[in-house]
Amino acid sequence: MSNVKQISVFVDNRPNQAAGVMRIIKESGVNLRALSLADTADFGIIRFIANDTEKAVEILREASYAVNVTEVLAISIPDTPGQLSRVLDVLGQDNVNVEYMYSFLGTSDRAVSFVIRVDDNALASEALNRGGIIQLTENDIAEM
Amino acid sequence: MEKYWNKEIECASREDMKKLQDERLVAQVRHVYENVKYYRDLMDEKGVKPEDIKGTEDLHKLPFLSKADLREAYPYGLLAKPLGECVRIHSTSGTTGKRVVAFYTQKDVDMWEDCCARAITAAGGDENDVCQVAYGYGLFTGGAGLHGGSHKVGCLTLPMSSGNTERQIQFMRDLGATILCCTPSYAAYIGETLQEMGLTPDDIKLKAGIFGAEPWTEEMRRTIEKSLGIKAYDIYGLTESSGPGVAFECSEQSGMHINEDNFIPEIIDPETGEVLPEGQVGELVFTSITKEAFPLLRYRTRDLCVLSRKKCSCGRTLIKMAKPMGRSDDMMIIRGVNVFPSQIETVLIEQGYSPNYLIEVDRVNNTDTLDISVEMNPDQFSDKVKDMQKQERDLAVAIKTMLGINPKVHLVSPKSITRSEGKAVRVIDKRKLHD
Repeated sequence: MSNVKQISVFVDNRPNQAAGVMRIIKESGVNLRALSLADTADFGIIRFIANDTEKAVEILREASYAVNVTEVLAISIPDTPGQLSRVLDVLGQDNVNVEYMYSFLGTSDRAVSFVIRVDDNALASEALNRGGIIQLTENDIAEM
Repeated sequence: MEKYWNKEIECASREDMKKLQDERLVAQVRHVYENVKYYRDLMDEKGVKPEDIKGTEDLHKLPFLSKADLREAYPYGLLAKPLGECVRIHSTSGTTGKRVVAFYTQKDVDMWEDCCARAITAAGGDENDVCQVAYGYGLFTGGAGLHGGSHKVGCLTLPMSSGNTERQIQFMRDLGATILCCTPSYAAYIGETLQEMGLTPDDIKLKAGIFGAEPWTEEMRRTIEKSLGIKAYDIYGLTESSGPGVAFECSEQSGMHINEDNFIPEIIDPETGEVLPEGQVGELVFTSITKEAFPLLRYRTRDLCVLSRKKCSCGRTLIKMAKPMGRSDDMMIIRGVNVFPSQIETVLIEQGYSPNYLIEVDRVNNTDTLDISVEMNPDQFSDKVKDMQKQERDLAVAIKTMLGINPKVHLVSPKSITRSEGKAVRVIDKRKLHD
């Protein structure tokens, strides 16, 4: 199993809130590998994978943000039609529920990478292994 | 061992207290009738003469005074002593309208400080204590009242005033403050700041806090007690009567003893003005029987509460008032339902949220709306939107259960609601802007 750590930050749904988070990350020199922003009428949740999770969490908590760390799966698949559909079929067959997913920021010409948040990491990881789908480790991400 | 500042008064028999009140009331009515034209006119209008008042049982014959009277008589209309004998004024914040100015002779200041000394003593204070006064100083009565009381008791008094919270904590640590006096919302903020600075109650020497000047709940008391490692005592007062110290809490923490040798309380029906029997909820009315410069008779406080003469374990015989359920000024009528911010605060703390919130009431298409912004709890933060939205819904349901009306709950970032260093602003009623 090769779970990776995702950081989530609570932000108000008002101008400049996401900017405030990014400003802090910029100052710390931490680099982001993948990011998504979920929004509701009141608040948003910024989720991201960083090259230095510990440092990112520390500086955000210091700035009084609500932060949490969850383990998610990261996969790398060929950049050809139908690949993502295959991944979801593999998970679906084992009854894994996908909560949300988003793609990595920069990847190679031949492959694309995704963050997948599921209800059962172990079950999902096993299904992906059996389906021959490459899962990224924290080291892989740090080297990206 | 319970300590008393003035045991003879605080533990007097009912008969002795009544006798003292009767004598003082009779003299006070005469003093007011002779020196305050405004009140004399009210008495004449009602056909009451000073000689009709022979004791506390005749109190109900006197006319009421309300905040409206104080505004009308502003500034000197209710003054009962020549200016030459007055030494000070204090004033209300004026948030609900024109300011009210109250006057004090030296004797009035002494009486007031004596009441505050009783409160500090009841909270366990004596001459060996270091008393940090973090109420605002100036026109507001909080700072001056507890400052004077602390002096009387002989505590080392730290006249901090409110604000500059890190400096408050620094002095608290460096000088070993043992008693803190401020508004409950500021005490909660000091507790929060202490934690943010990486400190615990073990890093300070505080043992007691005397908190008043705004409504607070039992839940908030427990939060403050835990965050500062103290026992928190309530104190009650109003500028119109003198300031904090009209009533104070003892070790039993179950209501406040009224200094009834100076202030006679009554509970009335706010609609009819009729006096209600002990134990019934109504509007609290005070008659000042010792104040010289600004002696208000039957002043309607607009605070809703209950009086009780039940025996208190502290040994005091002074009548007790329950924590006011809110000022009628704070009460909102939303879709015909009476709502107090304190009810919402109770639910928030029960559900694990911080007592920092903002209530916004508005009217859309002739229907009242209730929006409550609440600081989310970082410990319950989830990366899943559905979890967070469930928290909003659960909180809305809990508030609906308490109030009977459906609010819209909005979770906002921790620390994003402005903290108050004095009286907290919790309600924005936009309906008033449209009228």
